[in-house]
Amino acid sequence: MEPIVYVALGAALAAGIAGAASSFGVGIAGAAAAGAVAEDEKNFRNALVLQGLPMTQSIYGLITLFLIALVSGILGGGFKFAETTTENIIKAAILLGAGLTVGLTGLSAIPQGIIASAGIGAVSKNPKTFTQAIIFAAMAETMAIFGLVGALILIITGVGF
Amino acid sequence: MRKVEVSTITAILDTSLAVIFTWVAYKTGQILWKYTPYSYPNARIRAMEARLFTEQKFNELAESKTLNNFIMNLEDSDYKPYLTSLPVLNSESIDRALDRALADTYELFYRILPKRSREFFKLLLEEWDVRNITSSVKAKLRGEVARDYISEIGTMVEKVKAIADAKSLEEILVILEGTEYEEPYQKLLLKEITPEEFETELYKNHYLKLSKYAATRKDEEKKILQEFVKLKIDKINLSTILRGKAHGLGADKLRDSLIPGGKVKRKTLEALANMEDVEMVLAELDSTEYSGIIREHREEILEDISAFEKAFDRYILQRMAELTRFYPLSIAVPLNYILQKESEIRKLKAVTKLIEDGAKPEIIKRVVGELP
Amino acid sequence: MFKPEEMVKIEVLSLNRYKDSILTYLHEQGVLEIREIDVDVAQKDAPNEFYRKAASYTISLSRLIEFLKLYKKQEQGGIKGFIFPELKPKRKYKYRGIENLIKEIESFLENAEPEIKNIESKISSLNTEIERLKTEIETLELLSALDIEIEYLKPTKSVEIVVGFVEKDKFLPLIEELKKALDNRIAYVSRDLKGKVFVVVALLNRDYDKANPILAKYSFERIEVPEVRGKPKEAIAELQEEIARLNKELEAAEKEAKSLAEKYHDELVFYQELMENERDKANMLSNLVRTNMTFALTGWLPKKYVPKIVEGLNKISHGKIYVNIRPPTPEELDEIPVKLKNPKFIEPFEMLTEMFGVPKYNELDPTPILAFTYSFFFGFMLTDFMYGLIIAIVAALLIMGHKKLNDGVYRFSNILLWSALFTMVLGVLFGSYFGDAFQRAGINVPAMLDPMREALIVLGLALAIGLLHLFIGYTLGFIVKVKNKETVSAVLEQLPWMLIILGVVFLALSMAGFTSTLLGEVFLVPGVALFVISEFKSDLPVLMRLLMTISDFFGFIGNWLSYARLMALALATAGIAMVINIIVAMIWGIKIGPVPLGIVIGLVVFVGGHIFSTAINALGAFVHALRLHYVEFFGTFYSGDGKRFEPFKAKREVSELELEI
Repeated sequence: MEPIVYVALGAALAAGIAGAASSFGVGIAGAAAAGAVAEDEKNFRNALVLQGLPMTQSIYGLITLFLIALVSGILGGGFKFAETTTENIIKAAILLGAGLTVGLTGLSAIPQGIIASAGIGAVSKNPKTFTQAIIFAAMAETMAIFGLVGALILIITGVGF
Repeated sequence: MRKVEVSTITAILDTSLAVIFTWVAYKTGQILWKYTPYSYPNARIRAMEARLFTEQKFNELAESKTLNNFIMNLEDSDYKPYLTSLPVLNSESIDRALDRALADTYELFYRILPKRSREFFKLLLEEWDVRNITSSVKAKLRGEVARDYISEIGTMVEKVKAIADAKSLEEILVILEGTEYEEPYQKLLLKEITPEEFETELYKNHYLKLSKYAATRKDEEKKILQEFVKLKIDKINLSTILRGKAHGLGADKLRDSLIPGGKVKRKTLEALANMEDVEMVLAELDSTEYSGIIREHREEILEDISAFEKAFDRYILQRMAELTRFYPLSIAVPLNYILQKESEIRKLKAVTKLIEDGAKPEIIKRVVGELP
Repeated sequence: MFKPEEMVKIEVLSLNRYKDSILTYLHEQGVLEIREIDVDVAQKDAPNEFYRKAASYTISLSRLIEFLKLYKKQEQGGIKGFIFPELKPKRKYKYRGIENLIKEIESFLENAEPEIKNIESKISSLNTEIERLKTEIETLELLSALDIEIEYLKPTKSVEIVVGFVEKDKFLPLIEELKKALDNRIAYVSRDLKGKVFVVVALLNRDYDKANPILAKYSFERIEVPEVRGKPKEAIAELQEEIARLNKELEAAEKEAKSLAEKYHDELVFYQELMENERDKANMLSNLVRTNMTFALTGWLPKKYVPKIVEGLNKISHGKIYVNIRPPTPEELDEIPVKLKNPKFIEPFEMLTEMFGVPKYNELDPTPILAFTYSFFFGFMLTDFMYGLIIAIVAALLIMGHKKLNDGVYRFSNILLWSALFTMVLGVLFGSYFGDAFQRAGINVPAMLDPMREALIVLGLALAIGLLHLFIGYTLGFIVKVKNKETVSAVLEQLPWMLIILGVVFLALSMAGFTSTLLGEVFLVPGVALFVISEFKSDLPVLMRLLMTISDFFGFIGNWLSYARLMALALATAGIAMVINIIVAMIWGIKIGPVPLGIVIGLVVFVGGHIFSTAINALGAFVHALRLHYVEFFGTFYSGDGKRFEPFKAKREVSELELEI
C-alpha cells in the first residue's frame, strides 16, 4: 500500500480509537452520573468531575494526530513521504505504530469509565470517598500516558520534524 | 529486490493490524457488555442507600409517641408519598403503605436493571405471593380472618385480596385457576396433602424456579444469584429442621419438607434430620459454613428458634454486602439494597405496632435493635 | 515543621459539683482529646436526666427547623453566594449550667412548638385533602367515558355495582364465565380505555359472592367510585372549584408558616446548636469515671496549651482540683494522637496529607515537602502563564470570600493559589501564553523550551525530577527509621534504592562526560546487592522470592516512569491550546461582505475554548499531581498510619458561650 495510507491510518486511529474509547468511558460514567443525580441533585458536582476523567485519552489521541500531521507535512506544506520507497514506507509504518500505540492505550478510557462509574456510586453513598475515587480512576490513565510517551519517542526519534 | 521488501513489510503490518483489531474489538465489546448496563442502576441505588435509615433515625422514630408524629418524622423520607394520604391512621394502614413502598422498589429495579437479569426481581416478588397464599389459606382452614395475614405486595395482589375475602375454599380454587398454584391447591382440597405440605410444595416450587433462573445466568450474575438463592434455601431448610426438632418431629416427616439446591448438601441435611434434638443439630452444623452464626448465638437459638432465623438473615445481609464490595457493578448491588430495604420496612412496621400499643421508647429501641 | 505538634498526657481529678463547668470549659477551648479511663475502683460516669432531655430536644428541635426551613426566605445562591458566603451572626449565651439551659429551652418550646406544629398539621392536612380530590378527579375522568349519573354506579339494597378495568383479551371470557355462573343475571357496559377494557357490571346482591372469585381470577382491577352527585363532568367542575378554594387556604397557611419561619427559625437553630453541644458532652461522659464526690478524666493535649488550660481549670474549680501533666511514654506511642504543625503558608496543604492519613507520632510529617512538590508538579503539568493567571484569580477571590469561615474551600483555594503561581512561573519559562497564541499572532516571546517540539528534553526533565523526588522520599524514610532505631529495616528497604538512584545518576553523568564510570558503579553495585539481599531475606519459597525480586525491581521502574506524566500532561495542555489557536486562526479571516464575522466567532471560540482547556487540564494536573504523591512518593517511606487528633470541641456556628469563671 502507499505510505499515505499508513500515515493517515496512524493519525486517524490515534484520535479515532482513543476518542471512541473516551466516549464509551464518559458514557458509562455518565449513566452512573445520571443515576446518582436522579436520586439526589447534590451529587452533581462530584459526579461531573469523575465523569470528566476518561476524557483525557481523547486529548492524547488528538495531540498525536496533530503531531503525525505535522511531522509528515500534512499540516503546513506538502506530504513528505508520497513516493513508495522502503524508507518512506518505514517512516509511514513508524507513524502508524505511534498512532496505534496511543489509540490502543487510549482504550484505557473504558475501564477508567467503569472505575469512575463505580466511584460515582461510592461517592453518592458516602461523599467522603471522593478523593479516593478520583485517585482510583486516575490509576487507569497511566497506560495511556505511557502510550503517549512511547509514541512521542517513536515520532521524534524515528521520523523527526 | 526492493519491491519484495516493501510488500513483506506491508503484509506483516496488515496481518498484525487485523489480529490486534479483532482481539481488541472482542475484548472491548465484552467489557462494555458486562458493565455498561449496571452503571446507571448502581449509581442510583448507591445514592438510595445513602438515604436508608441510620440507627439515629430509628431512635428518633422510637421517640415519636404517637403515630401522627411518626408519620411526620417520615415526611422528609422516601416514604412521604405513600404516607400522605392514609385513610385512617393505624398500624395496619401504615403497614400497607410500607408494603406499597417496597413493591415500588421492586418495580423500580425491574425497570432500571438490564434485561438479562431483571427477571429475578419479578421472581423475588413472587415469594410474597407464596407467602400471602399460604398464610391466607392456612388462616381460612383455621377459621380466622385471612385479611390480617396478607401483605399487599406481590405479582397478584388483587387475587390475593380476593382469596382473603373468599367465603369458601372452592372459591379460592376458582381464583387460582390457571396459575401455577392451582395444582397443589387442588391436592390440598382433595386432602391428598396437609396444609403444611401445601406450604412446603409452594416454597419448593418457588425456590426451584429461583435456582433454575440463577443457573441459566452467566459469569458474575450466575455466581451472585446462586449464592443468594442457596443461602435462602439453606435458611428455610435449617430452620425447618430446627423447628421440627424443637417439636420432636421425626426424620421421615422432615425429609419431605426439605428443599433441594442449597449449599448444605443433601447428605448433611439428612444427617441433621436424623439428629435427636436441637442441641445435636447445632453441634453438627458447626462443621458447615454457618458455624460462625451457631457459635455466636447458640444460647439464644436453644431458647428460641427464631433467633436462628434472625441471625441467618443478618448473615445473608452481610454476605451480600461483601459481594457488592467484590462486584461493585453487578446485580449484587440491587440485591443487597432490597435486603436492606426489607429489613428497614420490617423495623418500621415493628415501630408502628409498638407505638400503637403505647410502648416506651426504650423498649422500641431495644426491639428494633434486635431485628435483622 | 516536619514534626507533629508535641503532645502531653493530662490527668484531671476534681469534685463532682465542678464537673459540668469543667467539661464545658474544655469543650469550649477544644484543645483536649479525652480518652477512656480504665480504672476498677471507680465507676463509669453516665448522663443524668438533663443530658437525656438534651438528646431528645435536639431531635424535636431539628424536626421543627426542618419544617420552617422550607418556608424561610431563600439565602443568596448562585456563584456570588459560593464565592462570598454570608457570615452568620453569632448570638451570645450566658451559660449557667445545663439545668438552666434545659429550663430555658422548655419555656421557649412551650410557646413555639404548638404554634409551629399547628400550622404544620394544617398544611399537611390541606395537602392530603387536595391529593384526595385530585385522585377523585382522575377517577371521574375515567367515568366520564360513560357519561352517566354517578348515583347509578352506587350499589343499592339489592343490586351490587362493580366498576373497574380488565385486560382486553380477558374481557370476553370474563363476561362469559360470569353469565354462566350467574345464569345471565348480569348487566354490563364497557369501553376501550388506555389499552384495557373499562367495565361497569351490575349484578344481584345475592350473586355477589359467586361473582367475586371469578372477577379475581381474571385480575379485575376495581376502582372506588367517589362520593359525588350528578354527571362526572359536572362533578369534576365542582371538585376543581373545591381544590381552588383549598389552594387559597393553603396559600394563607403557607404565608403564616413564612412569618413563623421569620420569627422562630434562627432562634431554633441557635437552641439546636446549644443542645447538640450538650449532647456531645453527654456522649463524652462514658469516658469519665466518678465516685460519690469526685470525678476524673484523662486525655491528650498539645504542650503549648498546658499553661493556659491548667490556669483555666484552677480558676473554674477554685483550686479544688488535681492536675497531672506528663510526657508520653514509649509504650503509648500508638496511642498518641497526631496534630500536624506547620507554618501558616504551608498549613492548607495539611489537607492533602490528612486525606491520605497522618504520620505516627515519631514519624515525619511530609507536608512541607509535599507543599512545594505538589505545587511544582501542578505547575509543570499546566505550564501556561494565562491558565495560571485565570486559576490564581479565581482562587484569590475564593480565599477572600472564605477567609473568615476557614473552611475546606478556603484551604483548597490556598493550595490552588500556590499551584497557580508555579503554573505562571513555569508558563513564562516555557513561553506559553494561551499556548502559542502570541507566537501565532506574530509576537515573539522568550522561551527556554518548547514542550511540543522539544518534547524529549521535557521528558528527560520529567524523569530527572521523578528520580529526585523518589530519592528525597527514600532518604526521608531512611533518616526517620535510623532515628527511630529501626536501622535494619532502613538499610534493607530504603538504602538500596538510594544507592541505585545515585548510581544511575552518576552513570548518566559519566555518559555526558562529567564523571568517571567508576563512581556510578561504586554506588550501583552495592545498591543492587543490598536490594537482592533484602528480597531474599523473606520467608517465601525460593521461586517466589525470585519472582518478587523481579516484580519489585520493575515496580520501581514503573514508579519512576510514572513521572513521565509530568511531560505528557504538559504536552496535553500545550497541544489543546495549540489546536484551539489553529482553529481560531482559520476562522479569523472569514468575512461576509464588510462584516468581520470571523473575528466575532473567533473570539467566542478563543475564550470558550481556553476556559474549557483550563478546566480540563487543571483537573488533570490536580489529579495526577496528587497521584504522584500518594502512590509513587508516599510509597517510598510514608505509612499514614497515625491517629488523627480529634479534640473534644464545641461546634459554634451561630452561638457563642459566655462561661462564668
